[in-house]
Amino acid sequence: MNMNILVCIKQGPGEQVMGQFEELALEQGLALKDALLASGLKSDKEPPILDVITAGPDSDLADDMIRRAYGMGADKGIIVRTKTNGLMPAFNTASLLAGAAKSRYDLILTGIMSQDLMAGQTGPMLAELLSIPWAAGVVKVDLLPGKPALRVEQEMDKGGRQVLDISLPALLTIQSGGVPRYPTLSNMLKAGDKPITLLEEAGLCPVPRRETFIAMETPVKTRDGLEIKGNLKDQVDKFYKFLRGKNFI
Amino acid sequence: MNPILVIAEILGNRIGPVTLELVSAARMIRDSYPGGSSDKGGDTRENNSRILIVVPHRRPVPLADQLAADTGLDTIALSLPDTRACRNEVVKEALVALMKKTAPSHVLAAHTALGREIAPGLAVRLGAASIAGVIGIRSCSPDGGAPVFTRPVMDNTRVQAVEPDPNLPAVLTLVPGAFPRFSGKAVSGGRVLEETAAIDLRKLRTVQKKHLKPVGSSQALKSARVVVAAGRGIGEKENLGAVSQFAGAFPSSALAASRPLVDMGWIGYERQVGVTGASVSPDLYIACGISGSSQHLAGIKDAKYVVSINKNPDAPICRHSDLCITADVMAFIREFQLKSGEGE
Repeated sequence: MNMNILVCIKQGPGEQVMGQFEELALEQGLALKDALLASGLKSDKEPPILDVITAGPDSDLADDMIRRAYGMGADKGIIVRTKTNGLMPAFNTASLLAGAAKSRYDLILTGIMSQDLMAGQTGPMLAELLSIPWAAGVVKVDLLPGKPALRVEQEMDKGGRQVLDISLPALLTIQSGGVPRYPTLSNMLKAGDKPITLLEEAGLCPVPRRETFIAMETPVKTRDGLEIKGNLKDQVDKFYKFLRGKNFI
Repeated sequence: MNPILVIAEILGNRIGPVTLELVSAARMIRDSYPGGSSDKGGDTRENNSRILIVVPHRRPVPLADQLAADTGLDTIALSLPDTRACRNEVVKEALVALMKKTAPSHVLAAHTALGREIAPGLAVRLGAASIAGVIGIRSCSPDGGAPVFTRPVMDNTRVQAVEPDPNLPAVLTLVPGAFPRFSGKAVSGGRVLEETAAIDLRKLRTVQKKHLKPVGSSQALKSARVVVAAGRGIGEKENLGAVSQFAGAFPSSALAASRPLVDMGWIGYERQVGVTGASVSPDLYIACGISGSSQHLAGIKDAKYVVSINKNPDAPICRHSDLCITADVMAFIREFQLKSGEGE
């Protein structure tokens, strides 16, 4: 069975090159690609490919992230350049990704959510726009040999799991499963010269926003958060005082 | 006026308690608009008709009867077909058809496995605005009017206020525990309206195979007086030994872990604390190198005291700790053991 895989990725916070769940999604895609290659392909069949795509404003960090994906084993990288800064609502991102992905892929993977927006909506919306089925919160993916479908385990509330077969093309949002591989030296050396496809937002028919992000504020505390300051020794002494006072030691 | 639709959360054959939280939120949204069909806010027949509950289930009538009686709200018993397809897919398709008939202004679902999976797709099909993981509702002006919704962002370090386009319907998922459960006495019982889901079964593309029950949480963890939990801040799997010894300094203690450690295979699921995993209520919870995701915090809210040790002073866990120690956790533990060893 052949499979073209697309992984939707986004940068992580601060200096983190790739978001935590995005990296897990990429790892899942690469593991599937490895499994397909290992299962052996007839010479007249095309090998499986894994591309990555991201949408966001102009940034060196986006390039760094695509190169890291190349280092891990991705084939082609696509950046959809948007004009806006700050967070973009999921429907807008999904619409751009749908325009870029069209229907070229058998499997699309995203993280269960991104660390900045924390909504988990982009994947399901992208699937709906492409009219493909999806499963969210996936923890395990297995090929079903001979069938255009995958068997996935999805996490349910309270930690139970649901096993379901989903027909391809499909989209999965990845919760966990596998430890992301390090980029290999040889891949990283090639990554420097590999082109990255750049698409402009305007060419993908951007849609108006359905939600306005008004403000961002510090969350409300549920406890006092009294800071224990000082050097390590002082901190331990104060902690000890607290423990003694409440009879924990 | 367009109704506010509440999607009941059904667990097996029971109504999930989060449904009553959705009802409270629906009432808050309803009451934030002045005027409408009645200038009196609160419970009246007219005002209650503004909210509709939907129970999607194979045999929904008894559940719908119960909800209508308890809440005084009209409830749609939406019968789902018998099919091998995954329940989420069936519920989503059934709701799309129903929403086109009822034209709601707002659709409320719980931010659970079901809600997270179907709400975004539902919004796309309805051409609606979509806001996931809502933790608060506020009116944006003193005279009332279209409410604004708050939700966590940026690794749970910030809260964002979102306004849906007032000209579109809005699909919202609400975090369980963020809103109070409706517990008032109903003005009078709501009506139950029976509907059969209008779905083309041939369009469904999933097949449900089986359910796997979760492995239980460690009993020792649930009954410990002091819980010491390890997070990614401990650095390496090998450091778990030192954290475990640290736990051993306290009588009646247990070692626990945040989800990422279990996912990485460093420790077993029976030690996981969080919304999946154990909810613990020890006298003292010591979070070692845990940043404080909302999923983890949900598991420790009933702890008597929470102490967090984290090298990041902005880690979200500090706002949910009684004491916040900014330090490298392994260095802190070593220093603590030195002091314990000295016998003070």
